[in-house]
Amino acid sequence: MTLLFAVAVAILFGSGAYLLLKHDLVRVVIGMVLISNAANLFIISAGLSRGQAPIYPLADGEPVSDPLVQAMTLTAIVISFGVAALLLALVYRVYTSHLSLDLDELAEADERDEAVRDLATLTGRQR
Amino acid sequence: MSPSSRYQVDAAQSRIDPSVTTVLTQTVARLLLVPIFMVALAILVKGYADVGDGFSAGVVAALGVLLQDVAFGYRAIGRLTIVRLAPYGALAGALIALGVTFVPVLTGEPLLRHRPGAGEPVAHLGALELITPVLFDIGVFLVVFGFAVGVIGMIARMHPRPIGPSRGTGATGGDEG
Amino acid sequence: MLAVPFSLLLFVSNGTLATSGNTMDGGWQFNPAASLLALAVLSGPLTWLVGRWRPGLAWVAGALLAGGGLTTTIVAIATGDSGVDVAWAPSWGLRLAFDLDGLARLYALLATGIGLLVVIYARRYVPLHLHHQGRDEREAGPFFAAFLLFMGAMLGLVMARDLIALFVFWDVTALASYLLISYDRQDANARASALMALLVTGISALGLLVAALLIEDRYGTFDLGAVIAAAEAGDHSLGLTTGILIVSAALAKSAQLPFHFWLPRAMAAPTPVSAYLHSAAMVAAGVFLIGRFYPLLATEPRLLDGLAVVGAGSMAISGVLATTRADIKQVLAYSTISQYGYVVLMLGLGGQGHYGAVAAVFYVVAHALAKTALFLTAGAVTEATGERRLDRMGGLWRSMPALAAGSGAAAAGLAALPLTVGFFKDELFFAAALERGPAAVAVAVGGATLTIVYIGRFWGGIFLGPRRATADPVPLALVGPVVVLGAAILLTGVVPGPVARLAEAAAAVSLREAMTVSPAYHLDTRPENLMALASFVLGGTLLATRRFWSPAAMGLARIGQRFGPARAYGRGLDGFERFSGAMRRVEVRDLRGRVATILLPAGVLVIIALIATPTRDAFSFGTIQRGDAGLVMILIATCGAGIASTLPRDHLSMALTVSGVGYCLAVTYALFGAPDVALVAVLVETMFALLFLGMLSLLPRRVLAEEAAEPENHHHGRRDAALAVIAGVIALVVSWSALSRPTFRESVAVDYIELAPDAHARDVVTVILTDFRGLDTMGEITVIGIAMLGIAGLLRRGRLR
Repeated sequence: MTLLFAVAVAILFGSGAYLLLKHDLVRVVIGMVLISNAANLFIISAGLSRGQAPIYPLADGEPVSDPLVQAMTLTAIVISFGVAALLLALVYRVYTSHLSLDLDELAEADERDEAVRDLATLTGRQR
Repeated sequence: MSPSSRYQVDAAQSRIDPSVTTVLTQTVARLLLVPIFMVALAILVKGYADVGDGFSAGVVAALGVLLQDVAFGYRAIGRLTIVRLAPYGALAGALIALGVTFVPVLTGEPLLRHRPGAGEPVAHLGALELITPVLFDIGVFLVVFGFAVGVIGMIARMHPRPIGPSRGTGATGGDEG
Repeated sequence: MLAVPFSLLLFVSNGTLATSGNTMDGGWQFNPAASLLALAVLSGPLTWLVGRWRPGLAWVAGALLAGGGLTTTIVAIATGDSGVDVAWAPSWGLRLAFDLDGLARLYALLATGIGLLVVIYARRYVPLHLHHQGRDEREAGPFFAAFLLFMGAMLGLVMARDLIALFVFWDVTALASYLLISYDRQDANARASALMALLVTGISALGLLVAALLIEDRYGTFDLGAVIAAAEAGDHSLGLTTGILIVSAALAKSAQLPFHFWLPRAMAAPTPVSAYLHSAAMVAAGVFLIGRFYPLLATEPRLLDGLAVVGAGSMAISGVLATTRADIKQVLAYSTISQYGYVVLMLGLGGQGHYGAVAAVFYVVAHALAKTALFLTAGAVTEATGERRLDRMGGLWRSMPALAAGSGAAAAGLAALPLTVGFFKDELFFAAALERGPAAVAVAVGGATLTIVYIGRFWGGIFLGPRRATADPVPLALVGPVVVLGAAILLTGVVPGPVARLAEAAAAVSLREAMTVSPAYHLDTRPENLMALASFVLGGTLLATRRFWSPAAMGLARIGQRFGPARAYGRGLDGFERFSGAMRRVEVRDLRGRVATILLPAGVLVIIALIATPTRDAFSFGTIQRGDAGLVMILIATCGAGIASTLPRDHLSMALTVSGVGYCLAVTYALFGAPDVALVAVLVETMFALLFLGMLSLLPRRVLAEEAAEPENHHHGRRDAALAVIAGVIALVVSWSALSRPTFRESVAVDYIELAPDAHARDVVTVILTDFRGLDTMGEITVIGIAMLGIAGLLRRGRLR
């Protein structure tokens, strides 16, 4: 079971990392979401006990699922939702200012801007 | 809730394919809104006794609003009063949570000291226990609901306006948030 | 700014102001230390506010504040020690402890008195300066604000008894000097000079912070008074490292070798700033620091010897350089380095005879008076003639006799001629050297000779000789302060007693014992007089024969430029810039490159850690219990959905597959016995999917189609896959080993489950969220709030037109 959880975490993380390296910003966001999912799964599988839900009345003799990791996971899920929404808004913002979602094009535009800036500084210095 | 005629007009104006947003889905969505809020309230109130808490209640309620969005299109959503007020709800929730957290400090007690303490009697109002953790949970509920609905509203307002006579209805809902 | 919390603290704890000099019993009593501290904190901000409100009144505010400080200091000199001691961060042993003792009073007098004169001078100078540069006169407001900030920082610095407060004010002086030196911000040279001053004094200031921590480690307190008491009781010596750190910070501030190069560059500042920087603030702060830590430094005799060597070197080298400079402000800059070389030398000599410390303080006062007057003269002359070079001016005494007289007195003071306070500074200096032996005597006479040469050249070059430049009339406000200072130099030259009393009180703090000096004119052949006479004769001869030796001095200056520490600074700065540029190109240019640079080193570190740790029993397969079949299947489905979400080309399918991952996880949580989590996961996943689709619908279909259709570079694709596999394997190893070995068998969760009924709850998870670990939830909703603000900001600006 331990190995299985670890494999699931690893596959989610690997998939997320793969998407993070893409040149499409939307895919990058999806990659972040997958990595957050991997983290959530990791947190919950770090629980020390597995069994009935930790809600009273508890049945005697049966193990109770670790409530601490559940609380942690809940918090983590909501935070990763907020972060994902923020990333989506960021993607949209990048699109409206650069009219592109392609990281290669964005890097090129960045370099162009910088060249223009450098030129401005140079001429400013000569003046 | 807004009168139905307004929804009809908006749906006609929205860019969503009319075949997707049929009258049936619209009716169902509108009918479901109140029950969804009831469910959210129940989850919130019973959070201390059963599954659920402020998070889930907030997301459930937000989903109810989002359902309207699916049924009527983004344009209509931006005008709902509840959507426009959502960011203030988030602010209020944050203030409530902050208050519950820090008020005990004023009397020299640790952060988040809840009342009534362990072993003290608790007043009940049906399933609702009148204790400060529930107040804290309401704050969390408001923040999560305000966040989700606020973001929906902001996205709704980003959608290009339809070209037509109803353009100047001032439905962008101000610049709150 | 820093000032706000400070003033708040002062305000809040008003009732608990403890006074060491006065008692609070008889109702309210004037506490000079508290008022000076308030001035220290408030001067800059208040002036800034006034400058914002009425730029023309900034100087009035500055003059009033400086005048108030001066009055308070004089009252304090009359009444004796006072102090402020307020709890700051008691759990860390930090107190806002300030003492207005003899040393503090002397430097406070310099800072406020000279500050007042400079403000009055700057009132006319700064508008003229701005006018010459074609700038708006309203920019005078920030000048006075920065200047008063500087003065306030000096006041705080000289009074601070707590090492951390001392460091804070020390750093504020560096910041204020940065603002002032770069005041001509359109001038690239001024900006570079300001940065140089900030870096040299700021980096060395870090050494001071480290020293403060080391002292705390050794003596257990940040209170300098307690530290000194402990050191005197013979508990510990300071330690050479700590001493070197403190002395380096002080020497960098006082522009001594090898940190001296920033000071001549700082001449890019407007002249009033230079005047203040060189006499009463910045440079004086370094020497003050040595005086403040003197009882500690004295526990390490080698440190004092080092000080003497550095001081002598600075004195000699920059004295020679000062004779070669053409720019009048450069002459003065090198002369400052040289003069402070004297002071450092005297402090170093003090180790044996104890005469040096008091001589050093006396010297600082005399030098401050003279050097301020000379700088103000330089500024006035430059404003009047438009020239800065010595060889383009001369004979100006005819057109500006008052200025010539005032600065003549100042020059005579610096050159230690009789009837000026300067004579006594050299008398004490010679006395200190005599205590130490013939080598020190030779150095002292040499230094005094050099002083006479460069100051004679400076003053004579401007006011004597043939007339080479035309001069506009100089406004009275520019001449007045010089005349006042010149008069003060002459007056204290006749009646040196008050200065001597001040110096005694200050030296008593450094030496921890009462000192008396009685400067007076003695018309006999005592050694001091002979040494003075020798320096006069030598200096006069050298001045007369300048043209024979000046080529040699020039050669020396060139060698210094070629191999001096300024070059190392430039190289270091270039190196850092190249390094940061390279890092930027590697890391920031491209998001993918950045991700890869995070993933790869992290992976390497993890692999190293795994190799380094024993692997026996590190991994357990775990047991599959009866009833886990559902969990196994849903985990396999999760894996499948995860891989599937990397495959689709178009964004819609991708959104659906990634939602699939989320729902599979929700089911996992449900099977895990975590219904709360499962509920939230399902809801959040739905929410996210709808939001994602909403965002996609905002983006034009064309752009999305382009992104989907663009074929991935084959080579990149393979590289990405390889990196992803590496990341996955690392995640596998890390999470497997972590999950296999829970460190604690007894979880706090057991307590939580038991305590839940006491918290009136049946759902343990909810009670953890709202009660037991409510602060986590607080943090979480903070994150949500910040994300919401971020989204609102991003979307509001990002509307498509």
